[in-house]
Amino acid sequence: MIQAENLRKSFGTVYAVNGVSFTAPDGVVTGLLGPNGAGKTTSLRMVYGLMRPDSGTIRVDDCDVVADPVGAQRKLGVLSDMSGLYPRLTSREHIRYFGQLQGVPADELEKRMEKLIEIIDLKSIADRRAGGFSHGERTKVALARALVHNPQNILLDEPTNGLDVMSTRAVREVIRHLKSENRCVVFSSHVMQEVSALCDRIVVIARGRVVAEGSAGELIELSGKTTLEDAFVVLAGPQGEAE
Amino acid sequence: MNLSAIRIIAQKELTDSSRDRRAMYALVFSTLVGPLLIGFMLNQIAGQEKAAHEIKVPVVGAQYSPLLINWLKQQPGVEVVTGPADPEAAVRDRKSDFVVVVEKDFAEKFRDTRPAPVQLYSDSTRQNTRAKVRRIRSLLNRFNSEIAGLRLIARGVSPSIASALKLEEVEVSNAAQRAATIFNIIPMFLILAAFSTGMQIATDSTAGERERGSLEPLLLNPVPRWQLVTGKWLAATLAALAGMVITLVITAKVLSSLPLEDLGVRYHLGQHEILLLVLTIAPIAMMAPAIQMYLACFAKSFKEAQSYMGFLVFAVTIPGVLSSFYPINNQPWLHPIPILGQYAASMDILAGKPPSMVGMIVSAAASVAMVGLFLGLATKLLSAEKIIFGR
Repeated sequence: MIQAENLRKSFGTVYAVNGVSFTAPDGVVTGLLGPNGAGKTTSLRMVYGLMRPDSGTIRVDDCDVVADPVGAQRKLGVLSDMSGLYPRLTSREHIRYFGQLQGVPADELEKRMEKLIEIIDLKSIADRRAGGFSHGERTKVALARALVHNPQNILLDEPTNGLDVMSTRAVREVIRHLKSENRCVVFSSHVMQEVSALCDRIVVIARGRVVAEGSAGELIELSGKTTLEDAFVVLAGPQGEAE
Repeated sequence: MNLSAIRIIAQKELTDSSRDRRAMYALVFSTLVGPLLIGFMLNQIAGQEKAAHEIKVPVVGAQYSPLLINWLKQQPGVEVVTGPADPEAAVRDRKSDFVVVVEKDFAEKFRDTRPAPVQLYSDSTRQNTRAKVRRIRSLLNRFNSEIAGLRLIARGVSPSIASALKLEEVEVSNAAQRAATIFNIIPMFLILAAFSTGMQIATDSTAGERERGSLEPLLLNPVPRWQLVTGKWLAATLAALAGMVITLVITAKVLSSLPLEDLGVRYHLGQHEILLLVLTIAPIAMMAPAIQMYLACFAKSFKEAQSYMGFLVFAVTIPGVLSSFYPINNQPWLHPIPILGQYAASMDILAGKPPSMVGMIVSAAASVAMVGLFLGLATKLLSAEKIIFGR
């Protein structure tokens, strides 16, 4: 479970995040939906402890992220905005490297790795070096290494951005699988279809604030429109600011 | 405290780098170029010396004076060959270094104990033939005084009467000295090897991680930053040490294949000296990657980092270049200055002087302190949001 309360972060005089609060319970896929530059990525960076909030608190399970980021990182699996690979290492080596750094015992690590290769469908590229991978293949490997320590909480920052249909489906499958294991999944996107297809709860972020929260149906009702896209435009658009 | 992360990271960086063809070429190039250059230069000097001792003497008109020719042939390192038809043109066109011409009336004048005419063609503007011309001139002079002496003895006169002076020439700028200046650059190449072989890992594991966008995922692992930095530094240091030792061993091999004794070189590079040099320069191999990593953290790409490294390498060569103009004497105030201290100690070791233990420890301590400082600074940088997210 992830609880973020009243997060604020400024760069110079501009507030990128200005009062974001949300709760992501276990067994639920929570979507952070918002236009580009709304503060989704900055919010997530604070949750996974690489960025320090100016104010506000974040808890991952029972761990205070600001006070103990390393402790929180043990409980988190993160597919971040930048998820570069090492071109001279194979997929297996990437997964093993991160597993070792997470302190996963050797025999368990090998078992876990084989399972991930199975779930994420990496068999064909498991022993190939990452140098020639496509964007989709890179994302899948990055996802596998983020999950190698079996984290209870998973943060995915625009995981399907720029992926082809096959890779998008694979990522969706993994997210559903994680949900079925009663994990807490937080998923950010600016793509309506992605969010509505996967998420149980949607947090709409715009201009550094949470502007609405609820299931897809609740958001449509709230906005008085008939589709989620229209609802999103109403909630996240400039009119929202005037309210 | 669990330190296994340091080993895991070092191992990964070494595996990664060993698959990098560019890194491997750099390793081979940087470990070979120094020893080969030193070998080439020493070989040149040895070659010039040898050339003066073993000369081919082109003689025109050898048939007119079998006596002179036979005497020349008996001198060590002298080979008499048939001279060119046009001696003057041959020397001017650099086909021959010099030519000895025995004139037709040599035998007749020699028999009558009148000065017998011999011509020596040479070109005094040619630097590289001077030693040879000097040799043949002194040979002819010796023939002259030997025959003159015999003639005086035949007439019952002591030959020493004809010698008012006993001239002994002492050449100060000799081959041994020139060879010694070349030995002085050995420490520079060792230090350069440490800087250039560790550099690949030091920059790829910092600026390279930023460039690829792999730094952020890496930092998401629950590993303290200082362990991350230390692991990367350890890998780079091992590479730098390997580069330095390989350079040293190749240098020793190259030197042992050269006739250094003939040059009168008193420098020696045996097992004892190799061990001492490794101990002396190892702190540099530890310090170099730390400085390189710190600098590379500022760079957003591998290429940008490499341009910083260029300045660093330039700075490292300054003591080496200076020392060929102003010899560095090992003085206590040099010890705590990284690179200069090791430089001075290396010169002593190569010259066969026992290095000062206190000096070595002070030098090493100063360099290790630099390691701590720069790793600390790099750790700080890798925690800064501007570095982690700035692309």
